[in-house]
This record gives sequence, structure tokens and C-alpha cells, in this order.
Amino acid sequence: MESATVAVSHADHHHGPPEANQSSRIDRQTLGILLFIVSEVMLFGAFFASYFFLRVVVDPPSWPPHPYELPVAVAGMNTAILVSSSFTIHYALESIRRGNRNGLKLGLVATWLLGATFLFIQINEYVHLGFSARDLSFGSIFYSLTGLHGAHVFVGLMLLSFATIRAFRGHFGPEEKDHLGVEVPGIYWHFVDIMWLVVFVTVYVL
Amino acid sequence: MAAAIKNPGWWRGLFGAVAFGAFGFGLVIALRAISDLPLYQTEQTGYPHVIVPAITAPLGFLWGFGCFDYWLRWAAGLPTIPDDHSQHGAKSWKDYFKFNTDHKVIGVQYVVTTFIFFFLGGLMAMLIRAELAQPGTQIVEAATYNSLFSTHAVLMIFVFVIPVFAGLANYVLPLMIGAPDMAFPRLNALSFWMLPLAGILFIGSFLAPGGAFDAGWTGYAPLSTGAPLGQSFFNLGVQFAGASSIATALNFLVTIITMRAPGMTFWRMPLLVWANLSTSLLVVAATPFIAGVQFMVLFDRALHTNFFDFGAGGDVISYQHIFWFYSHPAVYIMMLPGFGIVSEVISTHARKPIFGYRLMALALIGIVVLSYSVWAHHMFVAGMFSWLRVPMMITTLLIAVPTGIKIFSWLGTLYFGKIHTYSTAMLFALAFIVTFTIGGISGVMLGMVPIDIHVSDTYFIVAHIHFVLFGGSVFTIFAGVYHWFPKMTGRMYDEKLGRVHFWGTLVGTWGTFIPMHWVGMDGMPRRVADYAEQFGNWNLMISAFAFLLGAVQLVFVYNMVVSWRFGPKAGANPWRANSIEWQVSSPPPIFNSTEIPRVVGGPYEFGIPGAKHAIMAGEGTEGAEVPAGEKSVVGTSP
Repeated sequence: MESATVAVSHADHHHGPPEANQSSRIDRQTLGILLFIVSEVMLFGAFFASYFFLRVVVDPPSWPPHPYELPVAVAGMNTAILVSSSFTIHYALESIRRGNRNGLKLGLVATWLLGATFLFIQINEYVHLGFSARDLSFGSIFYSLTGLHGAHVFVGLMLLSFATIRAFRGHFGPEEKDHLGVEVPGIYWHFVDIMWLVVFVTVYVL
Repeated sequence: MAAAIKNPGWWRGLFGAVAFGAFGFGLVIALRAISDLPLYQTEQTGYPHVIVPAITAPLGFLWGFGCFDYWLRWAAGLPTIPDDHSQHGAKSWKDYFKFNTDHKVIGVQYVVTTFIFFFLGGLMAMLIRAELAQPGTQIVEAATYNSLFSTHAVLMIFVFVIPVFAGLANYVLPLMIGAPDMAFPRLNALSFWMLPLAGILFIGSFLAPGGAFDAGWTGYAPLSTGAPLGQSFFNLGVQFAGASSIATALNFLVTIITMRAPGMTFWRMPLLVWANLSTSLLVVAATPFIAGVQFMVLFDRALHTNFFDFGAGGDVISYQHIFWFYSHPAVYIMMLPGFGIVSEVISTHARKPIFGYRLMALALIGIVVLSYSVWAHHMFVAGMFSWLRVPMMITTLLIAVPTGIKIFSWLGTLYFGKIHTYSTAMLFALAFIVTFTIGGISGVMLGMVPIDIHVSDTYFIVAHIHFVLFGGSVFTIFAGVYHWFPKMTGRMYDEKLGRVHFWGTLVGTWGTFIPMHWVGMDGMPRRVADYAEQFGNWNLMISAFAFLLGAVQLVFVYNMVVSWRFGPKAGANPWRANSIEWQVSSPPPIFNSTEIPRVVGGPYEFGIPGAKHAIMAGEGTEGAEVPAGEKSVVGTSP
């Protein structure tokens, strides 16, 4: 694990810091986003814990409570849309790894559009559900879990927008360190997708 | 003025706070206007026109202060300004009041800011003790008293103990592992600047109608969901402090994992680095839970959701479960970095290697793992599932094992050591071992269900928490501040005043908190402004010692301020320690060193002839063997 290289002295014609020793194979940005995701998973964990208490411990007679219903089919279609966006972001990353700039742009734009569609359908679902976050604890936890996830999709879309803008301005290259700006938001986007599968299965299916 | 608004700094920060705050206020009013609602909602849990600006104004300040400038340029696809290191390092005292990316500057900013909050929280403690000196109501009303003990605890926990450790580690940790800075210097600066905002939100709640939050630092639902507006400030302040803490922990982890100097294997890291590694693991994984649960309380209060409303299918106990799932690990977040500091100080001043170094590191990891499995021992009387009591009791008692390993290892280190007590840091470290052991043992007592039921919500709990948090954490903080004061300032503090401070603090701590065990056993309830006549004499004595404890802290302030300015120059290594931060000048050069040091041995090899921890820039490599297991190319590459 220990890197065998030693930083060359920069003392002579450069007033910046000496280059840090790279003591692990993983780079800082990737490790940073992975740890951030751990922290995000635990934030979802707090809301899943609450879901567990409200549904299993309180144990109301019916779940969802009687007059309310969840549009499982619509949400299922939405799930398919979001999951497919994981493949398009992967395509974008693979393209830039091979130096295919057009593939990168296509993949990023496609991912962005799929993500935005997901968010649009979800907001549309909110409008037509017929219950609000004030209706029983069911409404509170439903809107919190899906809303928390929606907020993450929104943040993911922001990160993708930054990457897309830079891709169209000619940034990024096939070298590993030159496309971290695509890879790191990509890791986050995969997390958002996987988290949705967990939310979908817990809230809509189970 | 136009330039002042254009360039990041205090003026643009002020402008940002006002502009973003006004935007948040306008947004709420506009939305309420188009929804045909009354413009101002002033039920006590409402006030959206205050809550939303309380979120947007701090963000506006951070934007104006320049915390996001680099990232915004990056996000917009603009060419980022090449780093000219103009935001790195402090050339004058003014640079400490700017957005600065140097971990050493940020470390000092952290320590000074958190000590300001320490003294504000301390003043509240003095008011609490003044009120409790006599039975009856003399100084403050019962409602004000509730606000005082709540803000006292919240300031001490969220904006003193947790971040002051982050500050000390910020200063010394990159130096210790031979890194030029933290892994994400801008994120590091952002983490710091969120902290005073959290503190301002906590203290600002005194201005809210209905007074400051008064549901204790635990903010249990449903007391907190129905409390006046001040409680929302608590919910929001915790978000800022928590985000700051998570970002710093993430930064520490990435720094420790990816930026160690060549030769610095995990088993050659100083124990302070190990301690911060384990603390950061706790913060990253546990802190989101308090963020989540405070969001739920805020939603219940401001949006009228039903997480904790029993009548609408909510679950009251779930608050405590989720809260303690963070807050029990949090007590280790407040203690593990202190363990690291004490290990450094004791080994250095006993002139001996740490006894059982690897076990010390593994014990830290053991505490991290176990600390996730003990949360419900705070809830034995809360009416939770009764089957959960005994498992939680067992895991709680188990956690005494790794903690005991650490205590015995420190004793083993001292055993037959050449113990030097010329440093106040060492005095505090030695006193820590004794005081913390007492606090730890009362913790084991509290872990047992029958005793816990007997003393729940009495002063026994207050005694225990202060023995481990004041006699434990704060003693290690003082040890750390005295130990690294010469490194941070380049000057020595006054040892005589240090001794006055130490003995005053020790006597004050014991005099204040030991009698609390007894009045607690006899049933004096905590968190109540008044108490039965029979506890009068004890409380008078407790208050007298508490005032001594408070007064003697002024000696500390005087010593620190005057020594920083006028103290005699300290050499690079006044304690003759081995770790890397002592091998560079005091204060360290702006980029820590011109070359990354090379680590060739363990950090605590005192008394071993010829042993060396690291080879610094400019030192010859002769005499240093290439360490085993490392195929180094040093000296062979052209």
C-alpha cells in the first residue's frame, strides 16, 4: 500500500507546498465521495429507522392507512427511468476513458434528462396523491423518505449540470486524473439510483 | 464600497447574509400571500418567516465570505484561478479573520472560537450554580433556568468539546503524518466557518419570543415539538454544527488514509492520529442520525407533520432511539481524541514508549464498534421494549473493557518511567487518568439497569457526565492546549500560572462534582430550578467550588493571551518529543516543510539508543536504515 515514490524537492523555483505523498492507491476525491456517501446512507438510515417505528412498532391496522393508496405502477416505471440513467452515466464515463468526447456529452445529457424526468414524474405524483405530509404519520414518513431522495436527485442533477457544462466547454480527457469531474458525480449518481431502489422497495412494494 | 461588496470578505459576507435572509423572508411571505394564508404565522411552533431566513442568511454569509467562490467558478465551467496560495497561511493577525485554507490557521481559528463558546457556556454554568446555591428562586425564573441549562449543554457539546478537538487535530495532525495540508483545504475552511454560525444560532435563540430552547440538550419529543420558537434555532444550529463536524471528519479520514509520509504505515502513526481516525469514523457514520432526527422535529414543528404525534400514528419513543443512536457514539466523539492527546503527553513526559501501542490502537477501534450497540442504555426508564434492557446493559459493560485497556496501558507507560511534571500538560494528563476512571466507574454503575432506574434524572447523572466530560474531555483539552501551545505560538506559557490553573481546576472539579453523586443518590432531581431544603448545604458547597472552578479559568485566559504576546521564545522541540510536528520550527513553516519527511520508525521510541521516528528535509540519510517492508527508492533515484 505504501507508495514508493518520494516527492522531489520543490524548494528551488516554486513557493507552493511540497507534493504530498500518495500513501494509498485510492485518490482523495474518490475516497471523499465514498465517505460522503456513507454519511448520506446513514442520513437515510435515520428516516428508515423512523419508518420502521411508525409502521412496525406502532403497527397501525392497515398500511398505507385505509383511504390512501400509492401508485405503485407509476413509481415502478419511474424506477426504470432512474435505473436506466445509471447505464447512461456509465456510458459517458466509458466514452471519455476511450477519448470519445461526443459519447461523453451524449451520455451526460441523456443522464441529465432521465434524472429530470424522474423528478418531474415524482412531483406530478405528489400533486395527484390526495394526501399530504400532515395526514397521519404515514404521510409524514412517505413525503420525507421520497422527498429526501428527491432532494438527492436534485443535488445529483446539479453535479451533473456542472460536469455537462465543462464537457461542452472541452474539459476532461482520457487520463484517469482528467475525468475525475465525471467519475465523482457518477459515483454519487449511482448511489442516488441504488438508494431509490431501497426506498421504492420499502415504501411502495413491501 | 463597491469593491468591498465584490471581493469576498466580511462586507460581502454581511451583504450576503442580509440579501439571502431577505430573500428567504420574501419567499415565505410571497408563498403565503399566493396561498391566501395570513402573512405571518406566529403560533409558537410556527414562524416560517423566521425559520427560513435563519437557514438562508447563514448560507448567504458563507457565500459572501468566499467559502464557495472557487467551487462556483468550477461549477460554472469558468477557468478556475490558479492557486497562488494567497489564502494560505497567516502573515499578520488579520489573516486569522479571513477565509484561510491553511490547516494551521484553521486550527487556531477553531481553538480560539470554541474557547469563546466555552466561556459563554461557562458563564451560564455560573448562573445555574448561583441559582442553585440556595433552595427557592433567587436569581433566575424557572423558565430562564431551563433555557440556561439547555444552552449551557448545547454550547459545551456542539460548539466546544467536539470542535475544539477538531481544531487541535487540524493543527497537529497533518504535521504529524508529514502532509503539507489537509486533503481538502477549502472544505476545511468551510467546516470551520459553519461553526460560529451554529453558535450564533444557539445563542441567538435567547432573542426569540418565548426565550431560548429549554428542552435540554437532548430535545426530547414531544416536549421539543411543542416548545416555543427557540427550539427551532436549536434544530437548525445542530444542522450547521453537524455538517461542519461531518465535513471535518471526512477530511481527516481522507488525509490520514491518502497523505501519510512515505514509511508512515498505520502501525507507525502516533496515537493521536489513530484517535482521530476512529473519531472520524464515528462522526461520518453517526452524526447524520442527529441531523435526521432534528429535521423530523423541525418538520413536526414548522410543517406540522406527525413523526412524534401519538394521536396521528406517530411514535414518541422513536425520537429517543434515533437521537441516542447518534448521541451515544457522540460521547466517544467527545472522548477518543482526548485519549489520543493523553497518549502523546504521557509518553513524552514519562520518557517511555507507549505500553501496548497496538492494543491501544485496537482498543480505539473496539470502542468505535461497540459504541453503536449501547444507545438504549439512556432509555431504561423511557418505556421502550423491556427485552432491550439486558442486551444493552451487557454491551455497555463490555465497552469498559477497551476503555480499561487504555487506562492500564497509560499506567503501564508511567510504570518505571522518568516522569517529568514540569509541564502543566502532564499534570492535566495525570489528573485525567484519575478523574476519568472515577467517571468511567460511575458509568459502569449507570449501565446496570437497577442502579440506573434508581438514579435516573438525578444529580448522579449530572455528576457522571461532568466527571467524564469535564474531568475527562476538558482536562485532555487543557493538556493538549498546554502541550502544543509552544508549537502553535512559538512561545512558552508561564508554568507557574499553569500550575495555579491546574490545581484550581482539579480542586474545583472534584469539589463541584463529587458531592453531586451523593445528593443524586439521595434523590435530588436534575434540570429543576428549585430543590428540597435538605440539599441546601451540599448545594452551597457545590456552588462555592463551582465559582472557584470558574474563576481559575480566568488565570488560563490571562496566561494564554499574555504568553502568546510576550512569552519567552520556545524552541522547536521544548518537550523533546519524537513525532514529526516537533521536528519543524515553532510555529511551523508556512507549508510545514520544504520536503515531505520520511518515516523510519515508531513515534514513541524514547530511551532506545539510535531510534529515530522520521528523517526531515535537509537531514542526511546516512545512519538511517531503509525500513523493513518498504521498498523505498530514496537516494537511488536521480
